Amino acid sequence: MDVFLPIAQVFVNPIEILILSAIVGVLSGLFGVGGGFLMTPFLIFLGVPPAYAVANEANNILATSVSGSTTHYLKNTLDYKMGLMIVIGGIIGTSLGIYTFSYFKGIGKIDTVISLAYMYILAIIGTLMLVESLGEIDKAKKNLLIKKKIHVHYWIHGLPLRMRFPKSKLYESAFTPIIIGLMVGFIAAIMGIGGAFILVPAMIYIIKMPTKLVPGTSLFVTIFVSVIVTFLHSFNYGSIDLLLVFMLVVGSIIGVQIGQKLGEKIDSSGLKALLAVLLLIVGIAIAYDTFFAEQTFEEIAKISNKDLNFFSLFILEFSEDMPFFYGLFSIMFAIFLGVAAAFIRRFFSNLRKKILLKS
Amino acid sequence: MLTSNVKILKTLSNFRATFIKTGIFVSLAAYWGIILVGTFITFN
Repeated sequence: MDVFLPIAQVFVNPIEILILSAIVGVLSGLFGVGGGFLMTPFLIFLGVPPAYAVANEANNILATSVSGSTTHYLKNTLDYKMGLMIVIGGIIGTSLGIYTFSYFKGIGKIDTVISLAYMYILAIIGTLMLVESLGEIDKAKKNLLIKKKIHVHYWIHGLPLRMRFPKSKLYESAFTPIIIGLMVGFIAAIMGIGGAFILVPAMIYIIKMPTKLVPGTSLFVTIFVSVIVTFLHSFNYGSIDLLLVFMLVVGSIIGVQIGQKLGEKIDSSGLKALLAVLLLIVGIAIAYDTFFAEQTFEEIAKISNKDLNFFSLFILEFSEDMPFFYGLFSIMFAIFLGVAAAFIRRFFSNLRKKILLKS
Repeated sequence: MLTSNVKILKTLSNFRATFIKTGIFVSLAAYWGIILVGTFITFN
């Protein structure tokens, strides 16, 4: 049972998308990584053109980060001041990223650039994770306790305009979070990812934020970065397909909840090596697709507007006639889904507690 | 006799660990080789 995506102009199997996004969601919840760098390549493998996969995954990330951030807001584990500083850099980085995206789209090389960027990012993360997890297993076997240096100073700590961040109890240059935000925004705009894999280590090792504030603040930053990426992609290229976004959001939100519950019960450090291998396999699949697979020209689905159902026709006309409001609607749609998911989760969590107290 | 057996087992276990680590290192080197050569060919 295939469904036609009115904006991306391709047929996809909704069950495949739901299952894949749920699997990626489980991995995100289990390992605390964003799922963007896995889901975008999966969408490309399912036949969604890379430029559309990037934009729609950014919108999906917006929904999941709103959901996660609402949970952290309710728990008061967010540093807004630090988050806003990173967002300032993120806005500049995203604008530069969209400009670069437009340049490569203009010369017709955007699909190759996205594939290559994914291949290298997956190869780098996969290699680092594999080496780290093997080291951890080795250390655990030998029961080694290695003392790490508490304060390592990089050039970035010597920058001017230092200010206080009371929540994180830090006295840091404002340029440190801005530079990190700039890098994250640039990568997010080109690759359609949240950038948590850069942001989280940078917040811990470079900014030196307390670990309990890191996930919430990272999600808070991701909201703003993905809002800008979604809006600019929607407004400039009209590439957001609400039908695809809905499928992605439903799958990933369910998956993340399952992953978080699993993470509470099992020790995921041993599974890190498996995730690293999975990333490397996806990376090599992209490499094969880019370098060795025969160039086949996919048939462009020719479907006239008359054949579309009411919902698809509405999305298509809304996107073409009012791109500005369509972009805003895509953002509001993702935010609504994210907040709804957070409150549904809270409701079920409270219900479970009540049942446990009664019994 | 017992001490020598323990020594042999330890050496075997170390050999196995070294073998696995070398295997992973060679696989990663091959992996990076493929993607770097692929990129080079594509851009030429």
